Amino acid sequence: MVGRRAGPARGGPLAAETRWAWLFLAPTLVGLTIISAGPIVAAFGISLTDWDLLTAPTFVGLDNFAALFADHRFLTALRNTTFYTVTSVPIGLVLALGLALALNQQIRGIAWIRTAYFLPLVTSATAVGLVWAWIYSPSSGLLNQLLAVFGIPPQRWVSDPFWAMPAIVAMSIWQGLGTSVIIFLAGLQAVPQEYYDAAAVDGAGRWGRFRHVALPLLTPSLFFTGILALIGAFQVFDQVYVLARPGKPTDATVTLVYFIYEKGFSNFKMGYASAGAWVLFVIVAVLTVVYFRLQRRWVHYQ
Amino acid sequence: MTAPAAAVPVVRPGPSRRGAARIRRVRRGVLVALLVAGGLAMMIPFFWMILTSLKTRAEVFGTAPLSLPTGAHWENYPKMWNALPDVTFGTFFFNSVKLATLNTIGQLVTCSMAAFAFAVLPFRGRGPLFGILLATLIIPFQVVLVPNFILYRNLPAWWSASGNWIGTHEPLWVASFLGGAFGTFLLRQFFLSIPIELADAARVDGANPWQIFRHVYLPLARPALATLAIFTFMWTWNDLLNPLIYLRDLDSYTTTVGLAFFQGQFVGKWPEMMAGALVSLAPMIILFVIAQKYFVRGIALSGLKG
Repeated sequence: MVGRRAGPARGGPLAAETRWAWLFLAPTLVGLTIISAGPIVAAFGISLTDWDLLTAPTFVGLDNFAALFADHRFLTALRNTTFYTVTSVPIGLVLALGLALALNQQIRGIAWIRTAYFLPLVTSATAVGLVWAWIYSPSSGLLNQLLAVFGIPPQRWVSDPFWAMPAIVAMSIWQGLGTSVIIFLAGLQAVPQEYYDAAAVDGAGRWGRFRHVALPLLTPSLFFTGILALIGAFQVFDQVYVLARPGKPTDATVTLVYFIYEKGFSNFKMGYASAGAWVLFVIVAVLTVVYFRLQRRWVHYQ
Repeated sequence: MTAPAAAVPVVRPGPSRRGAARIRRVRRGVLVALLVAGGLAMMIPFFWMILTSLKTRAEVFGTAPLSLPTGAHWENYPKMWNALPDVTFGTFFFNSVKLATLNTIGQLVTCSMAAFAFAVLPFRGRGPLFGILLATLIIPFQVVLVPNFILYRNLPAWWSASGNWIGTHEPLWVASFLGGAFGTFLLRQFFLSIPIELADAARVDGANPWQIFRHVYLPLARPALATLAIFTFMWTWNDLLNPLIYLRDLDSYTTTVGLAFFQGQFVGKWPEMMAGALVSLAPMIILFVIAQKYFVRGIALSGLKG
């Protein structure tokens, strides 16, 4: 070890530590191989077959992918998922940003107020989905009752194709808000008070301090929350499963993951379901790469 | 937010400065009122759930659904609990506790081991391997749903009716003992903040990596371990898709699939359903109130969504 680092392959204490490292990593390596990374490749292989699990798979090339893009249900799922993403993500982020700014105060009882906004994030979409199904219920649901006070006629929120996705989006925003608020609050609390003071001395008003001090410094948090919200939105399933008629979403609410679930585990078309899963994978991968590329344009690191 | 007026020595006649302070006070008061109102609005689904769970069915569908219940009808809870012929809701609850606990143990043990290797031990390919692990963080797990299902379907199980792992609890916890990207990332960040001199000193004293891990790193990482434990518990507790795919018999159901099953069985029985939803939410709500600090820290640190 004099003058240069011994290579890990050589004998001595470092080689021993390398052996220890692989020992520590053994469970993770098995998991990567058979549970997470490896199966992505396997999923692609399966997507090239017709396979109902009862008979042997038959190779069909890219037929499943061709069939997908001619499948009305799949295209509807794609459209619904896109609608869900482009509404829930930006609305959720803007609301969370405003809330984080408002909640970033030293006032008595602020911890309690914050708890109220955070609480939905620990709930299961299944349980709160039941409550929202009840809130949206056309006959005696809370929402229609409240609207009746203002003379607005009752709506069939979940079974009306026009309102079904917005109803799911509203519930998801309610549930996911706290997560983004927490990340933004952490980002805001990392902004040194002197920055605001300096901006105030330069004559910046409230808006100026937000626009030119807080917002640029929050861009890393925004970037981070944005990508997570985006990936999460493409995986929407539970809300749809519970809200949109028990287990049977119509074309108004079917999403990509529901489509994969339906084809794979109700219809037992493993190849077709895997092809759908791979489309989901490619969409998320492309979005992530593009998102990271755009990062340089608007994210400021201190 | 704004620094106290006294900090900025502006020469102005007294009354107008007092006026400015009053405007600030009013503005802040309005803001607090809005925040409280918003917070209450966020809680409406919870209030509504509790209220409904204490009503009779007649009250729920009656002429004044917004009214308070005529006395608390606690009987909805036992009614919900014993609604199914062969199993009680307690079975679902027990299954959820079992799976959440096993997952938590598995993740704590194997993620902390991997994180220690990535943070402290030298080995060839450390960077690329960590990169691959991180990349799996952004992969939607639904992509590997089918291959995983097929894997478990090919694993024999003498204790299962299907002869393989389908229909058993095993697919819902065994993989948690094979590491995880989130936990490894979280703990590695924490381990990196521990001065490496501590490990070096232990090495000089003749400690092997296992002893360094066990007696130096783990005790120091307690807050991060608590964060990982809480998140793993919550994610398992709230998971719907995986139990839906793997579980077959009612007596193996978790609270989430149990509730979804309820929903299909008890259309319109809102009081019982709300009671069930509340019971299944209770552990997470209690955990959150007790350990909010760890939730907040975990999310702020890693920004992971549930």
